[in-house]
Amino acid sequence: MHTPLFSRREMLRSSACGFGYLALAGLCAKQSAAATTSVGPLAPKVPLFPAKAKRVIFMFHQGGPSHVDTLDYKPQLAVDDGKAPGDTGFYKGGNRKLMKSPFAFEQHGKSGLPISSLLPNLAKHADKLCLLNGMHTDLPNHPQASVQLHTGSFQFVRPSMGAWVLYGLGTENDELPGFITINPSGRVGGAQNYGSAFLPAPFQGTPIGAEGKTVGEGSIPNIQAHVPAGLQRKQLDYLQSLNRDRLAADGVNTELEGLIESYELAFRMQGAVPKVLDLKDESQATLDAYGVGGKATDSFARQCLLARRFAEAGVRFIEVATGGWDQHQNLRSALTKNCEGIDQPMAALLHDLDQRGLLEDTLVVSGGEFGRTPHVSKADGRDHNATGYTMWMAGGGIKGGIRHGATDEYGIKAVEKPTHVHDLHATILHLLGLDHTKLTYRYSGRDFRLTDVHGNVVKDIIA
Amino acid sequence: MRVRTLGIAAALVVAVLSVAARQSAEAAEPAAANSTKPDDKTGKLTTDFAHPTPAGIEHFEKKIRPVLTQHCYKCHSAAASSIKGELRLDTRDGVRKGGESGAAVVPGDSQSSLLMEALRFEGLEMPPTGKLTDEQIADFAAWIDMGAPDPRTGNGAKKKLDLASARQFWAYQLPKKPALPAVQNSEWAATDVDRFLLAAMEKQGLKPAADADKLTWLRRVTFDLVGLPPTLSEVDAYLADTSAGADAAVVDRLLASPQFGERWGRHWLDVARYGESTGKERNIPYTHAWRYRDWVIDAVNADKPYTLFIKEQIAGDLMPAANPQQHNTQSIATGFLALGPKSVNERNAEQYLMDAVDDQIDVTTRAFLATTVGCARCHDHKFDPIPTSDYYALAGIFRSTEALSGVVGRSSKGVKNDYSGELMPLTATASPSGNAKPAPAATMSKEAQTEYAKISKQLAQRREKLERLVKSVKGSATSKNAKAEAKKEYKRLTEQVERDEKALAELKAGPKPAGGAADSFAMGVRDVAQPADTEIRTRGEPEEKGAVVPRGFVQVLKSSGTPKVDPRHSGRLQMAEWIASRENPLTARVMVNRVWYHLFGRGIVETVDNFGALGEEPSHPELLDYLAVSFMDHGWSLKKAVRELVLSRAYRMSSDHDADNYAKDPGNKFFWRMNRRRLDAEAIRDATLAVGGSLDLSRPTGSPIANLSTATEIGKRGSIEDLSDAVAHHRSVYLPLIRNGMPEVLAVFDVADPSLIVGQREVTTVATQALFLMNSPLVLEQAQAAAKRVTSSTSDAARGVEAAYRLILQRPPTSDEIRLGKQFVVEYGQVVDGQVDGKTKNVSPSTDAAWTALCQTLMSSAEFRYLY
Repeated sequence: MHTPLFSRREMLRSSACGFGYLALAGLCAKQSAAATTSVGPLAPKVPLFPAKAKRVIFMFHQGGPSHVDTLDYKPQLAVDDGKAPGDTGFYKGGNRKLMKSPFAFEQHGKSGLPISSLLPNLAKHADKLCLLNGMHTDLPNHPQASVQLHTGSFQFVRPSMGAWVLYGLGTENDELPGFITINPSGRVGGAQNYGSAFLPAPFQGTPIGAEGKTVGEGSIPNIQAHVPAGLQRKQLDYLQSLNRDRLAADGVNTELEGLIESYELAFRMQGAVPKVLDLKDESQATLDAYGVGGKATDSFARQCLLARRFAEAGVRFIEVATGGWDQHQNLRSALTKNCEGIDQPMAALLHDLDQRGLLEDTLVVSGGEFGRTPHVSKADGRDHNATGYTMWMAGGGIKGGIRHGATDEYGIKAVEKPTHVHDLHATILHLLGLDHTKLTYRYSGRDFRLTDVHGNVVKDIIA
Repeated sequence: MRVRTLGIAAALVVAVLSVAARQSAEAAEPAAANSTKPDDKTGKLTTDFAHPTPAGIEHFEKKIRPVLTQHCYKCHSAAASSIKGELRLDTRDGVRKGGESGAAVVPGDSQSSLLMEALRFEGLEMPPTGKLTDEQIADFAAWIDMGAPDPRTGNGAKKKLDLASARQFWAYQLPKKPALPAVQNSEWAATDVDRFLLAAMEKQGLKPAADADKLTWLRRVTFDLVGLPPTLSEVDAYLADTSAGADAAVVDRLLASPQFGERWGRHWLDVARYGESTGKERNIPYTHAWRYRDWVIDAVNADKPYTLFIKEQIAGDLMPAANPQQHNTQSIATGFLALGPKSVNERNAEQYLMDAVDDQIDVTTRAFLATTVGCARCHDHKFDPIPTSDYYALAGIFRSTEALSGVVGRSSKGVKNDYSGELMPLTATASPSGNAKPAPAATMSKEAQTEYAKISKQLAQRREKLERLVKSVKGSATSKNAKAEAKKEYKRLTEQVERDEKALAELKAGPKPAGGAADSFAMGVRDVAQPADTEIRTRGEPEEKGAVVPRGFVQVLKSSGTPKVDPRHSGRLQMAEWIASRENPLTARVMVNRVWYHLFGRGIVETVDNFGALGEEPSHPELLDYLAVSFMDHGWSLKKAVRELVLSRAYRMSSDHDADNYAKDPGNKFFWRMNRRRLDAEAIRDATLAVGGSLDLSRPTGSPIANLSTATEIGKRGSIEDLSDAVAHHRSVYLPLIRNGMPEVLAVFDVADPSLIVGQREVTTVATQALFLMNSPLVLEQAQAAAKRVTSSTSDAARGVEAAYRLILQRPPTSDEIRLGKQFVVEYGQVVDGQVDGKTKNVSPSTDAAWTALCQTLMSSAEFRYLY
């Protein structure tokens, strides 16, 4: 069945009696007991070509994590510590001096990936990681770079990559939103980072909670039934009988069929969402592995654990986030603290996904909106660097244990196989079976893409 | 109305199909990149490099041309200041002929092509700024090996735009009043509009649907004109009126009501991308945007001629005014140009300005002309006859105009985290208009703002303390002493809170205005001191300046009567005259098409915001012209245009299904019946409040956004606070519209994204809407209120059901519906009571709950949500 979408739509359009939609939904429900099939715009779609990954977990570390202190090993930086870097890269001239990383790097795994002492747990998974050491983006400003990382454009209001993914693939579980962002920030673009812009609203991300709130406290608006389920079912039965009477009177009205279905979905969501959000059925061992309850790790541990639960449940695109990576000063202490907060949860997530057989078709992407300068103007701080930084990917279709691309000898500028944010987007879509040049939406007289007119799939990193 | 449950699917089908087509073509690359045909003599296949295939061209367009443009044209094209090495890469001939070093490419042989050597940095090293990526280099090799397919013809000099032939396009010809068509059915048509529709239907063998019943028509026209359901007394009055003029009386009443402007003003606010904050990466409030909103509503209510409506929005500040009051009103209208989304955090001043200009060009040309001039920012328009020079002719006008938005960009001197900027002061008038209350924060001095922020913080802490205190006392059995202590503390804290609140209010109000001083502000624009033409920016890059273009307008839309830009001014006044003119072929057409769309559910031109080559052609071209000419002949009056349409027979048609017609025209392209339409977000909320008896029809003063400070970024504390409470019972048009932070009820039901120009909203049907109607406090409260109205009018169950139907759906229920309703109330009450013996009490919490549930059910029903 290569184009189920087509045949279904055709059938509906040609069906003279209006019940095609519902009858079909009923059929699908019977065929697939695990997950009911959505019949709206979110209906699952077959990717354009066989996909390596079915879903994405995107870890966004806002503020510009320092790459030369974490995942971009630069021995020459230590050698030339204290010297001026010359007229290289973004910061021309000035009194900047190279500053070596205060953190030691060691090689890990069979692959021998160099990873700093800040990320000891992640390092255990070195052979799963693909370090994108040659990342670069257009602007070294937090808001623009954050929005560009999410939508491809900082200049115009464009759909988020999660919205594009959902538009391209639909959702696997219609009892949950297909694109979820946990504790997103209201700043640096706010809802624009998970918005659908000109794509229809169902493709936008659903925020759960907000930055600074305790994870799990927030939920999906109106998901809490205001009366016991039995009572609400009673009311819903009455409502649906009125709606069906109306449908019978209307003759053909596919929209109304969709409306009837939307109430059934809503009712199922009410049951499903709180269950996924509730961590009670996780074992203490799992909670401990992620670091739930840990002083430094609790917040991100909960996010990562929820991400796994959502991934397991078939959510297409999941974003988790941390903030505060803007170390213009207090690099040593603040970066240490930040890494402590994410290292164990990230590692646990990779391990957990792997154990459950989810890692092979879940693409994990992690990084910030840019990196930091190896050459500094202060003793214990680094500044913004958009010309070279590092992100990492793992899982769904990614070659593990490799470094792709490289910055210059100090980590200032991506010089080897540079990977732009557009390339990252093209690659993510590719791994999901979507061609970034063909996933288009007609708006305002032209076809738009996540990558606009840019982007090259980074084929070297695909397993 | 674009119906999304199907619309997307259809779009995807198209996408999937076209993808399939492209994939199969690509699979055959590179051999199929050029036509391959057997050689006559040898019978061998040879490749015809002169006739590239579509796949070859696509490879060029996607992989090669963008790289050439970005990396090579600067030195190797007609646009280069001096052509390096005599090599031109902007034409096919140039590429083949090559430069000083010889031919750049040998089609079919990348190994021998000089271009490849240069790209691989073997000998020559091109581009000099840095080697291309391996993938890009491989793309070039593949391109050459497939014969270097290249669709670029000509010598690379700018192709001269052939205006005469471009003007042959239907939309660029002036609308002419068409002759009325002949129709066979002489009974049906009540108006000229009907005759046009009927003639087209007859051609297709379609029959117009029967008239809708009176109640359906009344509900339809009331929602369409004022966005509200008819009240019980309006229903009764209309049903009782059997005179010939009953319909006209209803329409005239609705057109005269202030709610008409709120409804139709909102339609305009969608295309004007009205929002109350900068949106984008740093979201700063527009504390004075609401004045523009109110201006739009007032202008619609006053039935301001559409030409004037246009002119004031583009150049109101430059127009003569009889008195300060008029000058203020006209200037507020220019808020249209000032309130677009902005990247205040942009550090490149030129980029910031050009982005603002782009927004102004985009909104002006699309809102009024349904023309996508914005596409010509980086290159000539790909599909419409709009060269880049036209874009920069308009850009010169807006560069000569300064936006007073109350915010400034980071690129301005001294701006770090406070983006507060200049606003447009309104001239003090003898009697300030009702809504001229100064909106506070932006008028505060820097010192006052600092003080304000300090006290705000302190207040928040104190409130928090207070809350904790209350919780701690409530939650525990404490000793008498502790209670007394807590009480004292409580008093102390409340006093402090009150003091802080008062201080804040005083700071907000600002220094007391000395008699007659300018005491209020608006968003708007003004001409800069030295208006000037601006340069073409190559590829839209703000710093890459090309030739200066004289200020002017879109050439293809100009006529002999188009005014010339006055060099001493920005040119906005002349731009306004150029658009608001009978000589502009688009202006009237675009507007009547918008009106038609809002009343019939689909535009005559379906793409209401795009009348260009990529837009749809009109389904009824004569009708569109008839309406456009009629609109102009009747003084560009929106109300007259609306009146003519809603009193037509066509508008009265029922939306019922008809198998014969449906077989011939399933999409109802020929309007053989009324389209069923879902109420928009505002109407759903307003109707919900209305049936609950909670709707406040007065206009609130200003906006909750006016109380925010431009010194504070919205969403700084994580989530964006919902500021709707202050206007919780007012009409939806008055809800605070923060970009990226729209009120939930609007967002759920597909409100227009205020960062985009939206002439046609999406209509989706999704579970979050169902959840909203099932569980949201708004719906539950209003259902309860509606239930109270129902139960207080009668204690008889059947009458109760009838009252609920009349109140919520504006019609009496059928006997079956009464039976079902009664049964539901009884059974629901039983479940609430946990009774199984069938006994129910007359008045009890359970029956209250049951009536609330009944009302909520009707409010959640399809019938409530749709116009039939």
